[in-house]
Amino acid sequence: MKRLAAVVALLGLATVTACSGNTGDKSAAGGGDGGGGLYTTIDAIKPSLDVNGPINPWSPKGNAFWGYNAMRIAWSKNHLTDPNQFYPGIAASWEIAPDNSSITLHLQPNNKWSDGKPVTAEDVKFSIALAYTQGSTAFAIDPGAAGAASEVEVVDDKTVKISQDMKNPSVTFVRGVMDSFIVPQHVWSSVLPADFWDKLKAARGEGADAENARAEITALSEKVLAFAPPKDVSAGPFALERMNPGEALLVKNKNFYNAANVGPDQVKMLNSTGNEQIWNYLIAGKLDSAPFTAVPADVMKRISSTPGNAVVKGFSPVSLGLAFNQAKKPYDNVHVRRGLAYLINREEVTTIASPEGGTPAVTTTGIHQKPAAEWLGAELGELEPYKLDPAKAEEEFKKAGLKKEGGKWTLPDGTPWKFTINVPTPFSDWVSGAKAVTSQLTAAGVDAEVLTVADYPLYLKEIAEGKYDVGFWLVALGPAPYNIYQRLYGASNGWAILGGKVKHSAPGKNGNWMGGPETIEVDGAKVNPGELTAKLNSASEDEQKTIVGQLAKAANQDLPVVQLWDYVNTQFVNTNHFTGFPENDSDLLRQPAGVWIQLGMVKKK
Amino acid sequence: MTAPTIAVGNGRATLRRNFWHGVWRVLKRKPSRMAGMVIVLGFAFMGIFGPLFYPDPLPRDTANLYAAPSWEHLFGTDFEGTDVLALVVTGSSYVLLSAVITAVITVVLGTGIGLFAGFRRGRWDTVLMRITDMKLTIPGLPLLLVLSTIWKFGSAIEMGLVLGLLGWGGVARAVRSQTLSLRERGFIEAARGLGLSTTHIIGRELLPSMAPFIAMNMLIAVTGAVYAQVGLFFLGVLPFEANNWGVMLNLAVFGGGAMSSPAALPYLMAPLLAILLLTLGIVLAVDAMDEIFNPRLREE
Repeated sequence: MKRLAAVVALLGLATVTACSGNTGDKSAAGGGDGGGGLYTTIDAIKPSLDVNGPINPWSPKGNAFWGYNAMRIAWSKNHLTDPNQFYPGIAASWEIAPDNSSITLHLQPNNKWSDGKPVTAEDVKFSIALAYTQGSTAFAIDPGAAGAASEVEVVDDKTVKISQDMKNPSVTFVRGVMDSFIVPQHVWSSVLPADFWDKLKAARGEGADAENARAEITALSEKVLAFAPPKDVSAGPFALERMNPGEALLVKNKNFYNAANVGPDQVKMLNSTGNEQIWNYLIAGKLDSAPFTAVPADVMKRISSTPGNAVVKGFSPVSLGLAFNQAKKPYDNVHVRRGLAYLINREEVTTIASPEGGTPAVTTTGIHQKPAAEWLGAELGELEPYKLDPAKAEEEFKKAGLKKEGGKWTLPDGTPWKFTINVPTPFSDWVSGAKAVTSQLTAAGVDAEVLTVADYPLYLKEIAEGKYDVGFWLVALGPAPYNIYQRLYGASNGWAILGGKVKHSAPGKNGNWMGGPETIEVDGAKVNPGELTAKLNSASEDEQKTIVGQLAKAANQDLPVVQLWDYVNTQFVNTNHFTGFPENDSDLLRQPAGVWIQLGMVKKK
Repeated sequence: MTAPTIAVGNGRATLRRNFWHGVWRVLKRKPSRMAGMVIVLGFAFMGIFGPLFYPDPLPRDTANLYAAPSWEHLFGTDFEGTDVLALVVTGSSYVLLSAVITAVITVVLGTGIGLFAGFRRGRWDTVLMRITDMKLTIPGLPLLLVLSTIWKFGSAIEMGLVLGLLGWGGVARAVRSQTLSLRERGFIEAARGLGLSTTHIIGRELLPSMAPFIAMNMLIAVTGAVYAQVGLFFLGVLPFEANNWGVMLNLAVFGGGAMSSPAALPYLMAPLLAILLLTLGIVLAVDAMDEIFNPRLREE
């Protein structure tokens, strides 16, 4: 499923944090001859091309392709449990203060923009100013925001030091910095006023002037999003040459710091409007690489039989959960949720919905099973697995007061119980999975149905408004445990960190659609899972392990979601024209092919 | 001398007998017409009684996903191992019921408004035709797409009602034109001269002359309704029902890869064949209806 791939990629990339010092690797692979050639692929983030889209990495419609003509300070490895690893991007190396209070970036010494001008520390500082207008995690203008940068200092032409506001520090600070896009100041200079940094300083204060300054910076957001340079000036391995509705052509940036090791001379991004189009490209052997796409088993056989095609698989920090709106009856009752968990055969659901792109969840922990094994160790085996067990389900339903009349379960007062799962239509594996779940529940006497929603943005809007009883919800977006548990015990379930304090909103308020109670009982003791999650933001590694254990147990017993399957990062490569692709389980599979290429891995055959 | 009298009841019975005799003769004249009637009656039977032949919910064979066609599963199985033929048969009720409702609403509204406007002319004609013109300017499919975001069309009656209310404009315009033409003919003039009531003129003189025309529009309405609703379900803007023909097409193409590999092809072909066969049956049946209702035929 193309659109889900994009969402998963975005969420996966956007949710990892770094929390201690490190220096970057110089390169993932050795040098060697470039060799040239045309590399054909599909962009996972933006498969549908828009000829009118600006060359702007912040614009959702932009034709700035990550890793190709759009560059970040560094590229996260999204390691299983260590979020503190990156590949170099604009920065060649970095030093992080032991207390996480600052990060000093050393830029690639020989990197130039595609128009020949050098990439400087001023470009980085200017791009950070642009990031403030977008409210990026490390560059928030709200006073007291956790993990916000307080100072950006140009040390010399190739060195920038960024300091964290230590009044309210966060482990997300470093990752927030590293994820920043860098654009050329000499092209974008008209977008920001000359006194931007003064305005920012004013915005950090209190009173009417500060309010005005914040409003002015926020108002710049639209201007930044709409900015469209007439020509692509890129610091990446490629620059956009031309595009039409069917494809975009990028050509090698001869000034790129590692240009000698960039394999292809040109990259062609093909437009894609649906999965079946990508399948057909793959069957025809047209793509040198392609991102994860939900593929039926028979189509997979045809793709694999094309000469040169190969499938590479790795870890993807994403799981799919069947999420409940506990503000609605009978889902407020934990026994109902547990009963449902016992009625769902996760192996069967995964076989039907995502045989190539997922593995059945071993149980519900809130974490993808691979990092769960690392975080929890033997504790994972002690958790309730919720294997298919209709007898236990019946027991749980009876505890909840549900009644079985004429083979059908009803609510305690005898009124019919309609179990409705909502899913977005374009996600074909979600639709199949939801149907499989409802078939299983219907067979067990639960009157279940699937309702589809036209598209994913509408789905997210409606689920946030609390319109659904039950829906599919992406969880386990790691590796930082704070981000993992944000999906279960974060804003969508009522908890948010405001001014350094955890606050809980009532169901239906401030985006709380899951509507769980503020405290839950775990092994007979009351715990506040939102507060525990917030602690993960600043806890040490050992403390994190303890908290993760508590939260996994809480999720397992309270079941705000029933984890259905854990995603497998399934991608396609074709070795007819190029070699040197990442192998199975490579962390580079979690970055676009442009990053593989810029690091010097992909070589002309 | 007394005039020969014919009992009214007997006369109607004779007329009815003659009518059905005529129908039978018309059908026999071309085997294709007979085939058309058989297909239409077959679909009607399938829509009414089909679901009774299968258990609810339909059985699944999860060890046999996208199974190839066999004697056990003539059109194979779907993504969760359910017999595709069973899905087509049980799904026909929704499609056919909504198509029939659409056709009835289209024809009743369109014919009623067209006849009234054309026969009465004057102010009524002006007002009704302006309303019709406004209705004709509403783009059907985009409106349905917008409507589907707020209305889920859970039942066939709702779907038929909306499609019917969107479809009567063309029929009203055409029936009005036909009425304007017929009302100037001699037999209508004669009927008026004889002092026959408006109801009689419209019901007995005008309507039969337009019957083939109305039947044709009914055909267009039925097939149009099938295409529209299947199209909407195919686009995925309506609720998911695994046995809906449009949902089947959607899942076969976007979930099963029917356009890229042969495994899901029977899953795609089954609802397509059903739609094709239904359309063919209606076309052939209307060919027969044309002759049955044609006044010249009655003169024979």
